[in-house]
Amino acid sequence: MQKQIKILAIDSEEIILKSIRKAFDSDEKSEYIITTCDTAMEGLKLIRNDIYDLVLLDLAMPGINGIEILKRIKKLNQDIPIIILSGYSSKSSYSNVISSGARNVLLKPFTTTELKSIVSGIFKIENSKE
Amino acid sequence: MSLPDQLKHINISTRISILLGLVILLTMGVFSTLSLLKQKDDSIDIITNNSKQLCETIEKILRFSMLENRRDEITKALKDIVGKDGIRTVRILNHEGLIKFSSKKSDINQQISQSNPRCTGCHINKDNMLESSAKNFVNYRIDNQKNLVYNFLPIYNERSCYTEACHPTGKQSFSATELQSYNYHDSLQTVLGFIETEVSTEKIASNLVQTRTQLIIITIIMALMASVLTYFSIRTLVGKPVRNLVEGTRRVAKGNLKEEIPPGKAELGELSNSFNLMQKQLLTTQSQLIESEKLASIGKLADEIAYEISNPLTGIIIFSENLIKDSDEERIKDCEVIHNEALRIREIVRNILTITQRELPEFKETNVSEVINHSISIVNKLSNFQNIQIVNRSQKSLPNIPADPGLLEQVFLNLLLISSESMLSGGIINVSTDYVKDSSELDITFSDTGKGVPEQIIQRLSDSNNTSGLGSTERTGISLAVCKNIIEMHKGKFTIESKIDSGTTINIKLPVNS
Repeated sequence: MQKQIKILAIDSEEIILKSIRKAFDSDEKSEYIITTCDTAMEGLKLIRNDIYDLVLLDLAMPGINGIEILKRIKKLNQDIPIIILSGYSSKSSYSNVISSGARNVLLKPFTTTELKSIVSGIFKIENSKE
Repeated sequence: MSLPDQLKHINISTRISILLGLVILLTMGVFSTLSLLKQKDDSIDIITNNSKQLCETIEKILRFSMLENRRDEITKALKDIVGKDGIRTVRILNHEGLIKFSSKKSDINQQISQSNPRCTGCHINKDNMLESSAKNFVNYRIDNQKNLVYNFLPIYNERSCYTEACHPTGKQSFSATELQSYNYHDSLQTVLGFIETEVSTEKIASNLVQTRTQLIIITIIMALMASVLTYFSIRTLVGKPVRNLVEGTRRVAKGNLKEEIPPGKAELGELSNSFNLMQKQLLTTQSQLIESEKLASIGKLADEIAYEISNPLTGIIIFSENLIKDSDEERIKDCEVIHNEALRIREIVRNILTITQRELPEFKETNVSEVINHSISIVNKLSNFQNIQIVNRSQKSLPNIPADPGLLEQVFLNLLLISSESMLSGGIINVSTDYVKDSSELDITFSDTGKGVPEQIIQRLSDSNNTSGLGSTERTGISLAVCKNIIEMHKGKFTIESKIDSGTTINIKLPVNS
């Protein structure tokens, strides 16, 4: 049996977390295990206690700067790929987050296809490295 | 309030008028005083000269009368002279100071002392009665208190004065008694006596007082006229334009930029014209500022709305996709409508964001090559560039140009992302720069082997403000319009050539010296 991919989704919006779960859980034999949390602190705690293959991180979490969480996650696990979920597309979006260590940016609102394609794209690169 | 403080509140016309009046008063006062003094001196000179000439005439006329000792004739002649030209008294004194003849009877035979100024005019002092040199001889005396001028003319001893030829006896020598009775003079005597005229200067004094009064009146009238004329001239020529300027400044300070001040031609007119020009520019800048503030507010609002919409819209899109998968055929169509309309809303939101999130450039010396390299390094990390090869032919030694590196990076990233969207199954993006030394432009080219940009999008690019495509799937067009707008903010040129299924070439020309 193929190894299941563990994804952690951190977003303050419950509907986004539900949508991510729905997008990945709909397959009968899902290759993804989705964990969700709605605060940055809880997300960091989960990363500290468990190993995840990928993090989907909201850039606009209340009370804390998204880039700051990104850097903290990178501090905990340098190799973990992070995809930023952003509601904005300002000029600094790509430049800042990619420079801070994110692998890609997924603009909200997104479709199931866009979400899966961006995630699978990351693992294709990861697999090709191996 | 003290006097200097009060003076500060007097307007410029009044101040200059008062100052000019005072200057005229002072100048005319000094001039008049000097003129009066000169006039007085000149008048006295004339009187003394006239008196001297009169004395000389008297001496010549009376010489024979004196030689022949015709005393009554001499006295009568002296009395006749009095009264003319201010002559008050005429006297003839002998060398010892005894008044021998006078027009005033009471003076005759009066002895004057040796300390009298009449004597000290010729003699050094009363103790030493030696005659002074002719150089020191003073032939007149002024008595300012009594307004009198005394003139003295010495009667010199002549042969005829001490010989008998002119005297009635005809004798060569005389006894002392004879000499006394005939009034013969000693031949050794140089000066026998002197003629004195006493002339009144009252007329001159009264003339001077009259002239002084006239000068004072003229000076005051001149000062007043000059002050009044200056006051009204300054008020009209300077005060009014200055007041207009002050009122204009106050209006501007209150925020009223529409009302202009009357224009003019001279220096103050030029100032008024410059003020009006400044006001116009301020008005334009204010309108631009209001417009940009409005746009910024709209942009901020759009950002907020887009962000708030993006979360529930994600739910609608993903859940409707799931429903499409799980529903029967009849419901699938309904779900597809929901899904498609949700996607349409998404496009509208993203297009609005692309337009409103325009930022103002912050120019600084920028190395375009470095910005290109950085943009390529960013997209190379993205999974959607996995099958895309980027060939970077940008020159390393490009000159620094004045530009906003952040905005240029946004352009390059957008162009690379647009290319990647047109090459989902892979392709090549060529990035090159071209700069010829000392030329005024820097050339940047992005070309891809993608499916191309539709002709209608390229045509619409010529009108960057056309947002009629917000509702359709023209995000590529809007992104390109944003890129074009940023390049134009840098005073550059943005051109696009595209062929469907063959690829797109975008050329950017940026000025080296903006």
